[in-house]
Amino acid sequence: MVNQSAANLVDRLRTIVGRDALLTSPSDLLVYECDGYTIEKNKPDVVVLPTSTDQVVQIVKVCNECAVPFLPRGAGTSLAGGCLPVGGGVMIALTRMKRIVEVSTRDRYAVVEAGVVNLWLSNHLKAQGFHYAPDPSSQGACTIGGNVATNSGGPHTLKYGVTVNHILGLEFVLPDGRVVQTGGPCQDNPGYDLTGVIVGSEGTFGIATKAWVRITRNPEAYRTLLGVFETVDDATNTISDIIGAGIIPGALEMLDQLILQAVEAAFHFGFPLDAGAVLIMEVDGLEAGLDADAERITAIARRNKAREVRHAASDAERLLLWKCRKQAFGAVGRLAPSYCTQDGVVPRTKLPHILREIQRIGAQHQIRIANVFHAGDGNIHPILLFDERDPDQVQRVLRASHQILEACIRAGGSVTGEHGIGVEKIDFMPQLFTPEDLNMMVRLRSAFNPENRCSPAKMFPTAGACIEPSKAGRRAAL
Amino acid sequence: MEPTVCQIDDLFPAPVIRPESVSELSEQIRSALASSQAVYPLGGQTMLDVGLPPTRPGMGLDLRSLDQVIDYPARDMTITVQAGIPLANLQQLLATENQRLPIDVPLPDRATLGGTLAVNMSGPRRYGFGTLRDYVLGIRAVNDQGQEIKAGGRVVKNVAGYDLCKLYIGSLGTLGILTQVTLKLKPRSEEQAVVLVSCGPARLESLLEEVHRSRTRPMCLDLLNRAALLYINQQQGLRLPEAPWLLVIGFEDNRPTVEWQVQQILQELCAAGIAAIETRTALAAEPLWQVLTELPYHRPARLTFKANVLPRTVAAFCLQAEELPGQFLLQAHSGDGIVLGRTDKDLTLEQTQTLLNNLQGSAWTGQGNVILLRCPTEWKRKLPVWGAGRGDGWLMRAVKEKLDPRGLFNPGRFVDGL
Repeated sequence: MVNQSAANLVDRLRTIVGRDALLTSPSDLLVYECDGYTIEKNKPDVVVLPTSTDQVVQIVKVCNECAVPFLPRGAGTSLAGGCLPVGGGVMIALTRMKRIVEVSTRDRYAVVEAGVVNLWLSNHLKAQGFHYAPDPSSQGACTIGGNVATNSGGPHTLKYGVTVNHILGLEFVLPDGRVVQTGGPCQDNPGYDLTGVIVGSEGTFGIATKAWVRITRNPEAYRTLLGVFETVDDATNTISDIIGAGIIPGALEMLDQLILQAVEAAFHFGFPLDAGAVLIMEVDGLEAGLDADAERITAIARRNKAREVRHAASDAERLLLWKCRKQAFGAVGRLAPSYCTQDGVVPRTKLPHILREIQRIGAQHQIRIANVFHAGDGNIHPILLFDERDPDQVQRVLRASHQILEACIRAGGSVTGEHGIGVEKIDFMPQLFTPEDLNMMVRLRSAFNPENRCSPAKMFPTAGACIEPSKAGRRAAL
Repeated sequence: MEPTVCQIDDLFPAPVIRPESVSELSEQIRSALASSQAVYPLGGQTMLDVGLPPTRPGMGLDLRSLDQVIDYPARDMTITVQAGIPLANLQQLLATENQRLPIDVPLPDRATLGGTLAVNMSGPRRYGFGTLRDYVLGIRAVNDQGQEIKAGGRVVKNVAGYDLCKLYIGSLGTLGILTQVTLKLKPRSEEQAVVLVSCGPARLESLLEEVHRSRTRPMCLDLLNRAALLYINQQQGLRLPEAPWLLVIGFEDNRPTVEWQVQQILQELCAAGIAAIETRTALAAEPLWQVLTELPYHRPARLTFKANVLPRTVAAFCLQAEELPGQFLLQAHSGDGIVLGRTDKDLTLEQTQTLLNNLQGSAWTGQGNVILLRCPTEWKRKLPVWGAGRGDGWLMRAVKEKLDPRGLFNPGRFVDGL
């Protein structure tokens, strides 16, 4: 930005949000230079923290008048650089818009502002016997607005669906400052499902400020089983057989040997360290039918040569097991100073194949890879371990990641199941989609964000039919 | 001989072309574009009454030859099929693997998957199983330039690119022509049961409230009024209790869960002083599911409306609708706030306007709406076929203008004449 207009912009923004809600000093901006994808970093020029939709509208209007790019940000837990401020500009952090506006259990919806943390909502609903179903591992920090942007998943999506299945409507600030409400508390509103297509658009359509979300009754009971297997193949065959038998578990999560070591060191659950893989298999619902399902699952695991099938004996044990799963990424610090996680998807039956490929690719690049993932969905999360101070290792990690994702595409899958394209996976878009497909998407974006001033340089490659800003603002953190 | 013309409201006769392949379809789109003709996609023509009359001359495109199964990896519980496949054929194939698409579709022998998606059809079991947007993983469609484009994929979880699938579902064919669909599937339930509860108007809301608080987890909470019950008994010989109102509580799950739920709900209702109860399990429940799926669409009525309201207002809305002239047959998916009404009475245009205004007023207070699924063509230009305009109409128009700038697909028929 030219200095004079920059000063003018900052003054005007300060007038809108107040002194306490505007950050410009380099040390303050440091937090906002990347999300969970730390390989690329770039600071925004200014961060504003609005407290109302009206403030968001005013901010957006000022950005337009000054021709400055802007982008929304939630808690910054995304993993593909979705809120990387490419080219700088104004970052609109929605974390202060955190009111739970309304709850109607009778109508099964809640209205929340974009900055409400995912888990707060479920905690808020607990006494009434309800929860908000999508539960990404970052649910203690990530915001519902961010979940909307990335169409987040989580371990329970196999049975309960991803974010889009739980969003009924949005209050949305278009990049020109107009506010629109799509959908709402009632289902089947006439017209296009704008809500459905905004979810997962990664901030490139505008800024969600409020959401009407579906709330789900809590399961009456759970049966949580831990299957211990000698090989990854046995574990994956078990998954296929469970689903094939017509059982839809609440969750089916796999941890391989390497991640088990880290998790065991961190949480002392009592995982066998010599197992090839373990499966966390959980059925939930009404108490009446759970034993029947649990018995069938146990039999299926045994048929697939499970060394042992353990039942969580108490609620405390179940919660510890889930803590191990959800905080597995945190435990990875015990294995290496840095890690990079991937988010490929393959058809469930191709899991043994892709896990062998991952092993082969790891060996080829001499990178250790741990696996902990949503096996029931075929959504893999290989964790590539490295030391970011060693540029050679970084390069090898990037090459290995790339090859893993290409293998997912070859297996009929996708390069992202829940993290999004962001900046990280832009280069894969032409492998997944034809120029005609991408052109349709860019045409759609132009209905919402014609000048591409909101979240520029995301999701789509620069070459091709559309004109995109250059990547000049992207700076590798290496 | 297949008919070579079709009628959509007062567009008659429109020539019909039946492409045998996607490339033939693309060719037709390009030639329509070159000659500034509109195209009207046709499936089984079971829901052709929905929408405003066409605003431009053009041709019907019969898509029923695009009916191939592309890939059915049953162990992945997904299927990829061409969109012209009739629902009955799809469900029969899935049944061989003990799977299904849990969407209730009327006239499944004729209705195609593409048409089902275009109108976003749903039925009684949507309360437990959701709607089509929860099952479509990927699509292919021919766009306004005659190109086949795709979105989504063939895996159950995928966030690469914009989810155009959502946009196409329920878009009444106004954004392009669906050619191929990948669906997520469900296993067929081991057991099913329906519990029938009759009730007078004074206790309707308290009954719904009671069931809402139940420990059970129903898959269906459909409400029928006496007119609907009489019609069903007369037409289908089902012998349902001819009470002022009947609530059909449906369960599906494994056997122990269904059995427990039936006993539980009977106990709960008994404790609340609600009697007049009948239970039908397993195969005995099947005819009732069919009736609940078909009722709003069975033998096209003179006038059919669909309201979407807050679930807590369903009872009041139904009672209001029953008081209006027309003696409507009413069916509500009460857990989802969807109320469907049909009548064959000779209402005048003015009477219809008044009653729609009344219903619209009630729906609107909860941000709901009332649309007309069917009415005489000459009324369509005078009645709010797509309900009251919402604040997002301009954005819908912007989307239509970007994706179909020349108004090629089904022009004039959708919300706000899109």
